[in-house]
Amino acid sequence: MLDVTRRLLRYRGLLWTLVVRELKGRYRGSFLGFFWSLVNPLILLAVYSFVFTYIFRPRFADGGASPYPLFLMCGLFPWIWVSTSLLEGTGSLLAGAGLIRRAVFPAEVLPMVFVVSNLIHFLLALPVLAGGLLIGRLLGHPVGGWGAVWLPLVIGLEFLVIGGMALGLAALNVHFKDVKDILTNVLAVLLYLTPILFPLSFIAWDWGRWAIGWLNPFAPFSTAFQQTLFTGVAPEPLLLLQMIGWAATAWVLGTWLFGRLSDSLAEAV
Amino acid sequence: MSYAIEARGLGKDYRRMAAGYKLRTLKSALLERSLTQGLRQDELIPAVRDLSFTVDRGEAFAVIGSNGSGKSTLLKMVAGILKPTAGEIKVKGRVAALIELGAGFHPEISGRENVFINGAVLGLSRREIERRYDEIVEFSGLAKFMDEPVKNYSSGMYVRLGFSVAIHTDPDILLVDEVLAVGDEAFAHRCIRRIEEFLARGRTVLLVSHSLGLVEEFADRCLWLDAGVERLTGNPRRVADAYRRAVAETEGREHQAAKEHRESAVQIASAPEIDSVADSTDGEEAQESEAAEVLRWGTREAEVVTARMLSGDGTERYNFVSGDDVVFEIRVKARKRLHDFVFGVGIFTFRGLECWGTNTTLAGFESEVLSGEVTVRVVCPELRLGPGEYSLDVAVHGRDGYAYDYQRRILSFTMTAREQGVGVYFPRHEWEFEGGVKWSTVPSGHSGRSQEKHDV
Repeated sequence: MLDVTRRLLRYRGLLWTLVVRELKGRYRGSFLGFFWSLVNPLILLAVYSFVFTYIFRPRFADGGASPYPLFLMCGLFPWIWVSTSLLEGTGSLLAGAGLIRRAVFPAEVLPMVFVVSNLIHFLLALPVLAGGLLIGRLLGHPVGGWGAVWLPLVIGLEFLVIGGMALGLAALNVHFKDVKDILTNVLAVLLYLTPILFPLSFIAWDWGRWAIGWLNPFAPFSTAFQQTLFTGVAPEPLLLLQMIGWAATAWVLGTWLFGRLSDSLAEAV
Repeated sequence: MSYAIEARGLGKDYRRMAAGYKLRTLKSALLERSLTQGLRQDELIPAVRDLSFTVDRGEAFAVIGSNGSGKSTLLKMVAGILKPTAGEIKVKGRVAALIELGAGFHPEISGRENVFINGAVLGLSRREIERRYDEIVEFSGLAKFMDEPVKNYSSGMYVRLGFSVAIHTDPDILLVDEVLAVGDEAFAHRCIRRIEEFLARGRTVLLVSHSLGLVEEFADRCLWLDAGVERLTGNPRRVADAYRRAVAETEGREHQAAKEHRESAVQIASAPEIDSVADSTDGEEAQESEAAEVLRWGTREAEVVTARMLSGDGTERYNFVSGDDVVFEIRVKARKRLHDFVFGVGIFTFRGLECWGTNTTLAGFESEVLSGEVTVRVVCPELRLGPGEYSLDVAVHGRDGYAYDYQRRILSFTMTAREQGVGVYFPRHEWEFEGGVKWSTVPSGHSGRSQEKHDV
């Protein structure tokens, strides 16, 4: 467990080199390059906004989620970081089998490459989000605020959650290729079981709110993003504790799992 | 002297990849940190067994053995890619490994970026790589291709780049598998010079090779692995020789078995009067014989019944050391009295190069009568062929080339030599030097002074 963390720190140069090449490689040969990475979130944003503002017409006005597109953006962008990192990270060891099997290669770097490169996509999308909030502000909505200074902490803690999960899932996926398929479906469900499309307070049943708030590792993060970005206030102390708890649990468990399975990776991939 | 690599009771089992083991291997990987702990003996494939050896610092250590003998597994355990299932291995210092072609390269990205990734894997910082980058590229000779994705590289280019990065990262221990054989001659020489410099600086090299010449020239000690077990360790010349002898013996046995098999097949097939395979114009059979080479043709008015090889003392054998006395013996049966006949033999390499061929006409014999069964021997005292595999053609035919029985590759044999050299001919020779020539190493049994004959 400590070994994995230590090796990741030692090979951070390699990690960074691979991240750079992943970012460059993804859009090489495409005309609009990096902007494609913004297109998908923006389309999702447009679709969800349309569906939830004009079709379902929920009670956003009184629930603290208005204007809805801005509210949605604050939860959706981080979620895209979560889901793409986990999906790509989980398959990364099999994709990099050539490196692991034939060379002295620190395998733990591979899942982290996707966590980091998707984090960078997320960070690069933040100016768009900030621009949106600014426009909202100019139009007279009470969005955004100094709470955004908490953002690095929230992102840092979520990085540990995603990183730990990606490491553990990637190592498991080497033994069971079903892991990735299960993950795809779990993520599809989680999109709706995480307060992204709605604030947690919208859940009518107390037990449902409790379950999602305490059992879904991404719920406190999503709420924290909504509070720091959309509402512009500091995250509630309870949320901070929950996030720290999840970050520690996921990282410890993920790196432990990876460390346990790492001896057998070269043979199993 | 302190060791660089120490293995004690080292063993490695692979698991058989069958359904149903997965859950158990995962459980054992999680609980015991081993994939094979929970498996029964018949679910395992042993690759290396109970291996103990030490490689000293500054030593060039070679591992030889046939395919599947566990050499690469051993190398991967030293590199830390694979974990041993028994015993332990201790490695002191930073290891750079050139294990498989293109290993550690990302196919989709440019050579330039790969140098950085490869260097980072080998433990260099970005700045350190930048400092050595030009040197790496220059040594590899790939300056023009550095911006190409490496998937477009040839296998030789892979090796050039891989070796160049590995040697320039200045590891303590360099592991080299067969890959160097892929590079061209000039590059191989440059590699070897670099490795020699590397050794001179007190670094350690572990080399796996099928090139026994390289091993003998290069290594301080040699380990011979046979089916995962140590057969012999020690002086590379001695070990390589023992290995050559063992290979030749196995081949000799195989030739013998193949020959017996062929003979029994010939007896069954020789019932028809005319050889049907060679003369057949049937569509199907013609196609077949086009694909498979025609190895026998002729009218069989006279027929080669057997062919064998004898050593100088008259015992049948098919593996020789260059310079041995060799006898080719063929038994010919004439189905009728023939007046026009020639016996011929020819030696070919496996790739079809004719090394030597002669017949009774060329030797000056004029035929008179051939009847019944006869034995023909070609006696070659001190046959000095170069090391390698050869096959024998024999023929009985008329003076104008009219074939009674022509058999290609009726048998094959192996030559080994006590000394290295290339080519098919291995004349007795010696080295003489006059003037200001001094040698730091002289073949065993000779003094190093000039103006002395060096008989080999």
